[in-house]
Amino acid sequence: MKTFSVLRQHPLLIIGLILMAALILFGPIASLLVDPDGAKVGSAMPEQPPSAEFPLGTDAVGRQLLPVIVVGTPLTLRIGLIAGAIGLGLGVIFGFLAGYFGGWVDTLIKGAADVLLTVPGLLFLVVIATTIKGAVSVNMMAFVVASLAWMWPTRTIRAQVLTLRERQFVMVARLSGMSGLEIIWRELIPNLLPYLAASFVSAVGSAILATIGLEALGLGPQNEPTLGMTIYWALYYTSILRGLWWWWGPPIAIIILTFMGLFLISLGLDQIANPKLRRAA
Amino acid sequence: MSTPVLRVNDLRVYYHTARGPVKAVDGVSFALEPGTRLGLVGESGSGKSTMALALMRMIKTPGRIEGGQMLLGDTDLARLDEEAMRQVRLSQISMIPQGAMNSLNPVVRIRQQIADGLRAHGIKLTGKELEVRISQVLEWVDLEPAVAQMFPHELSGGMKQRVCIAIAISLRPKVIIADEPTSALDVVVQRQVMETIKRVQEELGAAVILIGHDMGLMVQFVDRMVVMYAGKVAEMGTIRGMFTQPMHPYTQLLISSLPQLESKGELQGIPGIAPSLLNPPTGCLFHPRCPKVMDICNKKTPVLQQHDSGQAVACHLY
Repeated sequence: MKTFSVLRQHPLLIIGLILMAALILFGPIASLLVDPDGAKVGSAMPEQPPSAEFPLGTDAVGRQLLPVIVVGTPLTLRIGLIAGAIGLGLGVIFGFLAGYFGGWVDTLIKGAADVLLTVPGLLFLVVIATTIKGAVSVNMMAFVVASLAWMWPTRTIRAQVLTLRERQFVMVARLSGMSGLEIIWRELIPNLLPYLAASFVSAVGSAILATIGLEALGLGPQNEPTLGMTIYWALYYTSILRGLWWWWGPPIAIIILTFMGLFLISLGLDQIANPKLRRAA
Repeated sequence: MSTPVLRVNDLRVYYHTARGPVKAVDGVSFALEPGTRLGLVGESGSGKSTMALALMRMIKTPGRIEGGQMLLGDTDLARLDEEAMRQVRLSQISMIPQGAMNSLNPVVRIRQQIADGLRAHGIKLTGKELEVRISQVLEWVDLEPAVAQMFPHELSGGMKQRVCIAIAISLRPKVIIADEPTSALDVVVQRQVMETIKRVQEELGAAVILIGHDMGLMVQFVDRMVVMYAGKVAEMGTIRGMFTQPMHPYTQLLISSLPQLESKGELQGIPGIAPSLLNPPTGCLFHPRCPKVMDICNKKTPVLQQHDSGQAVACHLY
């Protein structure tokens, strides 16, 4: 009951959650109705506008756009979730170690994060992506993006831990003979759970953004019809100039919906995690 | 006289600041008999809390234990490695911290917070045994077993302080340090909490070090008292002796600053402020504020000497 009332007080969070749930369920459910083979090259006549036979038309090499979207949306979300989870996971580990233990551990981790933050991320990712030999798989794509997704979570979590560790209950835990890792796990993490949830959402968001950026440059999984790769092909075949709006339109619409959903969730979680943002009731 | 459970010999704790070392605890020695209550008084900055943290080995950099011994039984706490010290905390020597309001983790249930201490000392209990143990610990401090299911914000200040006491005694330590355990509570609750500490301490047979500056509380609670001034012991002895015949001028002033019911005169304070430990006065550290100052006081540091009255005092008057 309590959960429901929390949800009712935060309509933004509900809308965001519904939007994301719809996007996540869209792939699996729609693939029951639409033949995924339609996403393959040459499965239909090229460059057909939307019609009864091809609801979203076809592209220049004969892929049907509706199956492309059906297959591509879960792929893109998967990259975002994996990369976001790894990035935040590393951020949690590094952030807690650096923040709680301090000393040379802190200097090392904070130094590495600071240096990598100054490197333009996309440039770095382009270098990594181009050095990978052969076709890039979806999971590999996620790891590439994750490799640069941990610094910001590390910095912010470290900052949170720095303020938490001076709190009296941490001292009491030490007085009770708890070890450093026990204190992190049992005392600090419970205090940061709402914050971590909000961080996860923004980590997924930036991972999706980085993925699409790389893919739009053609540095993604060439054999998979992810949303970013679809945009790349649409650009490659100059679909905008040729007025093939049904080609570039749908992936962009899905991307916009994804970011709206993530943004609303993150806004809603922020209101829960940060009481200062709560509306005066 | 039985063998003391805790002996502190010439303990020195310095904070190394950019402007030189601050001698927060400078050559303090005392002994604590099992089952007794010792008061540690002094004004802010006199090194009481540093003393307590040193006993728990929780001095943070730039602070360091420079020398001396803290003998708990036969083990010298000053020389234990960190892992051994972690084992000693709570099981042998525990501390009830200052400020009950913030001493509990706001998002963790009381049950879990008590269990964490047990777990940290490798005590493995089944779920049911753990529940029994926790309600027993809560009962010791006059709390309902139902409190275990609550979060700290559902408790009053006095209840939170009781939970802190419950955690501190959960492993039946030999020494309990109470650092101003009632500073954030009103007088009624204060008394109840002190009674609880006293009763539990007597049941466990543990020794208590009570840190504070409330002389009234000390009279009611402790057997012996150590008066600290600027990191050194000014005077120590039995509470009775020190109140009937205080020897050190600082102790005399502390006691005469207490309000008296019989005499309605103006309340007396101690003029001046505690000296800067970065740049301490020469000789006796109290001489700039002392009403009985003599020529020798700013030249020679008085040493702590035992006197016939049973008190030990560091003053040139005797």
